[in-house]
Amino acid sequence: MSVESIVPAPAPKPAGALTMDVIEHTNNRMVLSMGPQHPSTHGVLQVMTEIEGETVTHAEPEIGYLHTGIEKSAENLFWTQASTVIERMDYLSPLSNALCYILGVEKLLGVTDLVPERARQVRVLLCELSRLASHCVWLGTGGIDLGAISTFFYAFDMRERILDLNELSGGARMHPNYLRIGGLRDDLPAGFLERLDTLIAMYKPRMTELRNLLQNNPILQDRMIDVGIISPEDAIAWGVTGPCLRATGVAYDVRKAFPYSGYENYDFDVVTRTEGDAYARFLVRLDEMDQSMRIVEQVRKNLVGGPIMADDTKFTPPPKETIAVSMEALIHHFKYVSESFRVPPGDVYQAVEGPRGELGYYIVSNGDNRPWRVRTRPASLYNLQILKKIAVGELIADMVVMIGSLDPVFGEVDR
Amino acid sequence: MPSSQNPPVGSTALDPTAIRPAIDDARIIRTTPDALRDELVALRRDGYTMLLDVGGVDYLAREPRFDVVYHLLKLELNGTQAQRVRVLCGVPGADPVVPSVTDLWPSADWAEREVYDLFGVSFSGHPDLRRIQMPVEWEGHPLRKDYPLRGPARERTPRPSFALKSNVAAGTPAAGKTAAALQRQIAAARGQVVPAEADAARGGQLPKDGSK
Repeated sequence: MSVESIVPAPAPKPAGALTMDVIEHTNNRMVLSMGPQHPSTHGVLQVMTEIEGETVTHAEPEIGYLHTGIEKSAENLFWTQASTVIERMDYLSPLSNALCYILGVEKLLGVTDLVPERARQVRVLLCELSRLASHCVWLGTGGIDLGAISTFFYAFDMRERILDLNELSGGARMHPNYLRIGGLRDDLPAGFLERLDTLIAMYKPRMTELRNLLQNNPILQDRMIDVGIISPEDAIAWGVTGPCLRATGVAYDVRKAFPYSGYENYDFDVVTRTEGDAYARFLVRLDEMDQSMRIVEQVRKNLVGGPIMADDTKFTPPPKETIAVSMEALIHHFKYVSESFRVPPGDVYQAVEGPRGELGYYIVSNGDNRPWRVRTRPASLYNLQILKKIAVGELIADMVVMIGSLDPVFGEVDR
Repeated sequence: MPSSQNPPVGSTALDPTAIRPAIDDARIIRTTPDALRDELVALRRDGYTMLLDVGGVDYLAREPRFDVVYHLLKLELNGTQAQRVRVLCGVPGADPVVPSVTDLWPSADWAEREVYDLFGVSFSGHPDLRRIQMPVEWEGHPLRKDYPLRGPARERTPRPSFALKSNVAAGTPAAGKTAAALQRQIAAARGQVVPAEADAARGGQLPKDGSK
């Protein structure tokens, strides 16, 4: 049997068909749709990329797949209820969202000074813990994006312990709805501070382990250094905030520039790098976690006693124990729950430093018991937007690194 | 606690930003679409280099109906304190068009698309003005105050009321005045025409309009 009979002869090309050579010579760009179901897009991001070989020549992120109309819902809820849906925006650090909204409403009410010191301290404590939890998710999933599976377990173990603290204080792991207009819902339960001490004790060795795994890892450095470089001018022009901005050398932190909830009393540094690439953003976030832990330790050390709710029944519910014995308290409670309270007309812009950057709420009240408008300034949306600039000229494989290093949360991008 | 006897203020037309308590959060500038770009260019030259956000507010009964709100930030430089300014641009409801500022700040790109998508305010000069959050074929602008919370009423298949859902319609041989009237009503509800012979077969000698 001859070789010719086993291997079939190639079929003759039909006349007029494009050969491979012709395609390569005319146009070798192709359009590739990344997502919205791609695991590295951290949710539901679609990036329409035009690639030439492996180089990205054009990238257009498409968002909106997770749009749930939270801003519209908030307009139809009482002032007290709106914080519940607002917590669902940035689901990795719900307390930052709630704090920002509540601080804004307190400014509209003019009661910022009535919030007791203990409530302000606990707010700071929980917000820094949720920043830590959020950065743990970024660290874990960012490691998976690069093939580093084991960091995921180290980081998520620490996050679980923070979520346990959420559950202890607010009753729910992810969306505790613990912060209230005027203070907190309840005082910290017994055993909370002991659990917090355990977390503080485990933090340093765990971060050392994580840093040993990742920071000087040559594979990770190869993937991240000089990838997705943002210049400080671009970062300012594109509205980039948070760790992505500080990685370019601009030391803007809302906690320092516009202190809120007593941040001026704590000693912490604004971490900056100057490289502006994915590795710089990685290092800034790692150092920021250490600074967050510094604040947590200071709050733990200086935590004062006292009330946790403002003493003004115009906007706070009556103490639960009075409801059973006082008719006035019962009536008050009924009216508080069934029709809430009214907020004087006005508008306010309140910003906090969320884990992703400046998280802002522009709140408009027309004197009703519902907000007229709650506009979010989503940090993720603006941080993600710059992807279409920094992706051009990079390799398609680095797209995953760039999305991961911008750390978008699509609950907040799409709202 | 305020009394529920007072009518809610929300149903009345007013501009809450005009009667504003003293809140020290930002400097406020009011402007019109014609003067907007000059205002923003001047602010940028003044050091407000960062456009943090572009948002919209629908005041419904006010004229101008919409506000497009620009939040600007001056970063701290050489020890000066960081500052905020808020530019409120009133936009008439009849012709909601605002000049785009995407050439000044690329950060305005998605934010302006979002205001267009959710409020229907158009931005002249925007390079790629299309919906961003809602599906491209969506009709209406959901964050407008006259847009219902659960969206527009969807087209529903006509469903007969309880009385019309009796088993007369299920093919059992029915006779008599009531049955024929029911058949007619069911057919009318479904948009069908009952042929006369079907009527006669049922033994009905009813008037054609189906009245009882």
